[in-house]
This record gives sequence, C-alpha cells and structure tokens, in this order.
Amino acid sequence: MTDLVVKTVEELKDAPEEYREAVSKLVISHAINELYGAQVFDEPAIAYAPTPYAKWLTCRVAMEEYGHHVRFKGLGAQMGIPEERMVPGAGKKPLSIFEFPLKTWEEFVAIKLLADLAEILQVEDLLHCTFHPLRNLARATMPEERFHAQFGEDFSAELVKAPEGKARLQAAVNEYWPYLPKFFGGSKSRNNEIFRKWKIKQRTNDEMREDFVKRATEVAAKYGLTLPKVAEAA
Amino acid sequence: MIFLGPLRAAVRSASWFAALGESLTEGDIAEAKVYGGVDRVERVASWPEAEAFLQSPTTSLDWWNREETLRKSLLAQAEQNYPERALWTSLTELTTEVGDLVHGKAATAAARLGNAARASIHVAAGSASQAVYQLAVARIAGAENSVFESKFRLFAAGRWPLGISDGRLVLF
Repeated sequence: MTDLVVKTVEELKDAPEEYREAVSKLVISHAINELYGAQVFDEPAIAYAPTPYAKWLTCRVAMEEYGHHVRFKGLGAQMGIPEERMVPGAGKKPLSIFEFPLKTWEEFVAIKLLADLAEILQVEDLLHCTFHPLRNLARATMPEERFHAQFGEDFSAELVKAPEGKARLQAAVNEYWPYLPKFFGGSKSRNNEIFRKWKIKQRTNDEMREDFVKRATEVAAKYGLTLPKVAEAA
Repeated sequence: MIFLGPLRAAVRSASWFAALGESLTEGDIAEAKVYGGVDRVERVASWPEAEAFLQSPTTSLDWWNREETLRKSLLAQAEQNYPERALWTSLTELTTEVGDLVHGKAATAAARLGNAARASIHVAAGSASQAVYQLAVARIAGAENSVFESKFRLFAAGRWPLGISDGRLVLF
C-alpha cells in the first residue's frame, strides 16, 4: 500500500508509470462502457417507453449516460489519452451484456433496476480514489446514477401492479441477471490488485460482487422479483 | 466538430420554462398552431395537470412518431453532409451541455410553481434537450423552416409543448 495522492491532472505526470497506467485503464473503461450502455440500451429504450412522460424521462437518462461518457472522455483527453481509445471499436472488448440488443420496455426497466445498481457500486468505489480528478468526476456522476436506479425502481413498481407486467419484468430479470455479476471482473484480477495497491479503488472484485448480489436481491425483493442462480465468475 | 454557434447562443438566451402556467398569449397560440398543425391549443396550468396528460395511457403518441420519422430522415441527410464521427460528437456534446442547462431551469420552474414530482424535472429537461437535438439535426441537414424551428421557439418563449392528442396541442 502507498500514500500517494494525485490532486490534479498535471501532478499525474509525476506519478509512477504503474499508477498512470492504472488510472488510464479505469478512465478508458468507464468512457467506453458508459457509451455502450447509452447506445445499446438507453437510446433504443425511448421507442419502447409507453407514454410521453416515460419517453422524455428516458431521453434525459440517455443524455445523462452519454454525458458520463463525455465527462470520462474529457478527463481522458486532459490526461493525454487519444480519443480513439475511449470509444468503441478501439480494441477493448465490451462487456458481454452489450451484445444483446434491447427488445422490450420491461428489459430496459430491469436493466435500470439492476445494471445501474452495479454501476453505482463501481462509482462508489471511486469516491475515495487517490486520483482526485477521477474522484471528483465520480462524485458528479453518482447522483445521476442513483436517479437512474430509482427510475428502475419506479417503473418496476408500476409494472408489478399487474400480474402480466410482473411476469414480463421477471422474465427480463431472468434474461439479463446472469450477465451482471461479471461486471465486477475476475477474482484474481491483476488490474484490481494494482488499483487497490494505489488506493485508486478500495475493494476486491469479489467483495464488490458479493455486495452487489446482496443489494440486488434486496431491491428485487421489494418488487416481489427473484434473481436466478448464477454460476460463480472466474 | 460542426459549427453550431448560433444554436448554442439561442439556447443560452432562451427563457426555458419561465412561462409555465401563465396565460397563453396570441403569439404562443399562433406558434403552437404552426408547430402542431392543429387549430386548437389548450393550456395546462400546473405540474400535476401536465403530469396527468403526459402519463395518461390515452394520450396519443402519433405526434411523437411523426417527429421521430422526420428526425430520422433529417439525420440521414445530415450523415450525408458530415462524417459520422464529427456529427455524432457534435450532437452528443451539444445535448450534454444543453441538458445540464435546461435541467437547472426546469428545477427552478418546479420550485417556483410547486407540486412537481421529482422525476418531472428530468422529464422537462429531457423534452427541452430533445427539442434542441431535433433542431440541431434539422439545421445540420440543411432543412429550413422545419417543424422543429417552431417547437424550439415555443421552448425559447418559456413554454413547454406537451403533445398533441384529440386534435389539440397542449401547452404548459
């Protein structure tokens, strides 16, 4: 463990190479995944939203997700990361969940309910990051992520009022849930070890995954939903 | 990046949500008729009334679908005029910038009138950002006098066009 604290992007130039690389990896990962999420789920969901209210709310959520990409990309640009490394297609493989195009409104609600909870945990872990520009960005992003998860809760509450709505939502949960624990990476991740060594991140992937499963189970139960069993991640 | 300076300036000087709940002026009604292509314009005077209209399962989505068809057609034209990456980046950065501005304006309006659901501030911001995005696409496509010009002018005048249902356009 070290006590290094980097308060500005300028100070980052003097940080050890391992620290700089670790921070760059995180910024690139967030920039790409926020963009994938907005493109694959949030923007297409506008068409599935059932009322003008839900459509414009989804518009705003999509714009905020795109905005998160813009923020992370902006920080990356300040750090000297080439733009092409922070957009899809540059070689970094997307999370597997992004390979499944959205088909229904219920799927989107399930994703907001559960996948955005996973996103909250990822951002929470950066709230004490030793690289302060990234910590500050996480703090700016957190209220919006919480609102997106609340969006998932609010529309889940609506859907489960009718048995057929609840059945469709449960089916969507069953379809997407198996991909979500993998968000947190492998148990023996070398990257995670380096992140924790420099206190860029706080918890192991397994600790985060365990916390996520616990919180997701609780939030699903609030709406009478259950989570299917999932094989342990590697 | 694509130059969108005049639109950015118009966004900054617009009276976002400042006239919500106020009586309709002749100018509001005339602009709303141009935008909606309808003869009837009705006002809602409170956030709960606006929410009821927007959340009603009987509120038509035909106008929404017409705008989406037009937007997609204009976007296809814009994609012929500019490289995809430049177009996409310009629109994303514009809507991100606008989103933060109009979100604050919507929150101010909600605080002033009271009784707005928390999510409604996001809904209002989403509608205003969408209006700017639609107008940006139209202008980049080279479309003059599109319906998105009059929609934006309603927002710029402090109004919120909520939609068209049962042959009338509803303005907040």
